[in-house]
Amino acid sequence: MPALTNDARPTQPWIINLLVRPSAYRHPRAWGAACVAAGTWILFLGVILISFGFWWGAALIAVSALELWIAYRLLIAPLPQRVRELEQSRARVVDDSAARLRRIERDLHDGAQAQMVAVAMKLGLARERLSSAVAGTKQPDLERVLELIVAAHSGAKEAITELRDLARGIHPPVLDDGLGTALRSLAAGRDVPVELVVDVPDRPSAAIETIAYFCAAELLTNIAKHSGARHATLEAVNMAGLLRVRVTDDGVGGAHVESSGGLAGLADRVGTVDGKLHISSPSGGPTVVDVELPFHV
Amino acid sequence: MRIVIAEDSAVVRAGLAEILWDHGHNVVAAVGNGDDLRAAVSEHHPDVAVVDVRMPPSYTDEGLRAAIAIRRDHPKTGVLVFSQYIETRYAADLLGGASGGGAAGVGYLLKDRVADVSEFVEALSRVAAGGTALDPEVITQLLGASRRPDALDSLTARERDVLALMAEGRSNGAIAGILVVSERAVEKHIANIFSKLGLPPSDADHRRVLAVLRYLGA
Repeated sequence: MPALTNDARPTQPWIINLLVRPSAYRHPRAWGAACVAAGTWILFLGVILISFGFWWGAALIAVSALELWIAYRLLIAPLPQRVRELEQSRARVVDDSAARLRRIERDLHDGAQAQMVAVAMKLGLARERLSSAVAGTKQPDLERVLELIVAAHSGAKEAITELRDLARGIHPPVLDDGLGTALRSLAAGRDVPVELVVDVPDRPSAAIETIAYFCAAELLTNIAKHSGARHATLEAVNMAGLLRVRVTDDGVGGAHVESSGGLAGLADRVGTVDGKLHISSPSGGPTVVDVELPFHV
Repeated sequence: MRIVIAEDSAVVRAGLAEILWDHGHNVVAAVGNGDDLRAAVSEHHPDVAVVDVRMPPSYTDEGLRAAIAIRRDHPKTGVLVFSQYIETRYAADLLGGASGGGAAGVGYLLKDRVADVSEFVEALSRVAAGGTALDPEVITQLLGASRRPDALDSLTARERDVLALMAEGRSNGAIAGILVVSERAVEKHIANIFSKLGLPPSDADHRRVLAVLRYLGA
């Protein structure tokens, strides 16, 4: 089971929690840098005072040591944990893209490629009939030829549809016009009516938009399949520097992450960019799924 | 010909059956996986089986393994393997020791070849009659990756054409027809090729194919 919340927050000693919480959690690097600067200056001052014979300068050195220790906890100590997380998320990205490529290859092989082979066979047969008719070796069986061409024609049309669906699954062209437009087209024409709220003034990175779009698509599909909901909302807003996509429904609830299930796949995909996926789905509903993504990769 | 088809894609399966019926052959069974194929061959003892490489449940080389088993258990049934990609290793597995029987009654073609209906049916007849049909793509790859490029360089362009067609499993008559030369000329080219490459002369078509493939390193 994948971690649903991938917090990069290190566990801090109580003293730091007391002193700088919660700001240091949100901006550990800024606080760390401030501690380094302050600690260095106080250390410098302490050394000067001592060298002029003011022994109480030693107290300043002790304070600077505390500052530098806090800086160490904020800046250096979390690194191994962070490296581990990045390694895991990189592995997930690689697995995810390999699996996607495999799926695309399979879809092509079983879909359009097979369809085109069948089309070529039918045209081959029709061509044989026509050439023997033209060469005068056989009576032309025009009805049969027409039948073959009609079948080939509809096969070619099916192949076109399959290719279009596949291409859209790889990168929906509507995303080029921005997340808002893409989500609007996603929400339109659903069996369960979807209320849409989009407030994303700046465009996130393309990769973030894509992930947000596929999350919304999967979650809306889940609603139609499993929830029995009569109403759903899809919300995409800019919240404190994060892109939050929230999908809610008034269905039966009870949604949960199963390993190798659709939601686990989403959590993995969101995790690849350090995003988070929260699910609240008590039995009886309502279901609220929050996807938080950074604006830029 | 009595034919068994094994192909998991329903559209391709139906298309193949249509082509074969259209050419007056008898499709005795059309199945969608390796196990059913083996069962169908045991039941019907067809002249030839047309086998897709990739079939359920593993979607890897199910069909190939079934084909090798059929060649071992039913040596009288020809096996034409066809797939959407050419893997030279598959050709080697099919022709190699694993299945016994050498190149007799084996074919390996790209699925696209089905589009040239009469050529495909002809290749299938060749395989059913104990001959060989290898895709030109297999031969190109083998020629390109041959361990003995120097000896191949000693062949004239025409001799290389003849070598490629010979490796595909064509008879002298067919090669003469394709290259628009007399059969005598083809025989002369083949004698030259065999002496330049130091291959033992042989009469049966499929032995000749095997000699050439061994030479190319399949």
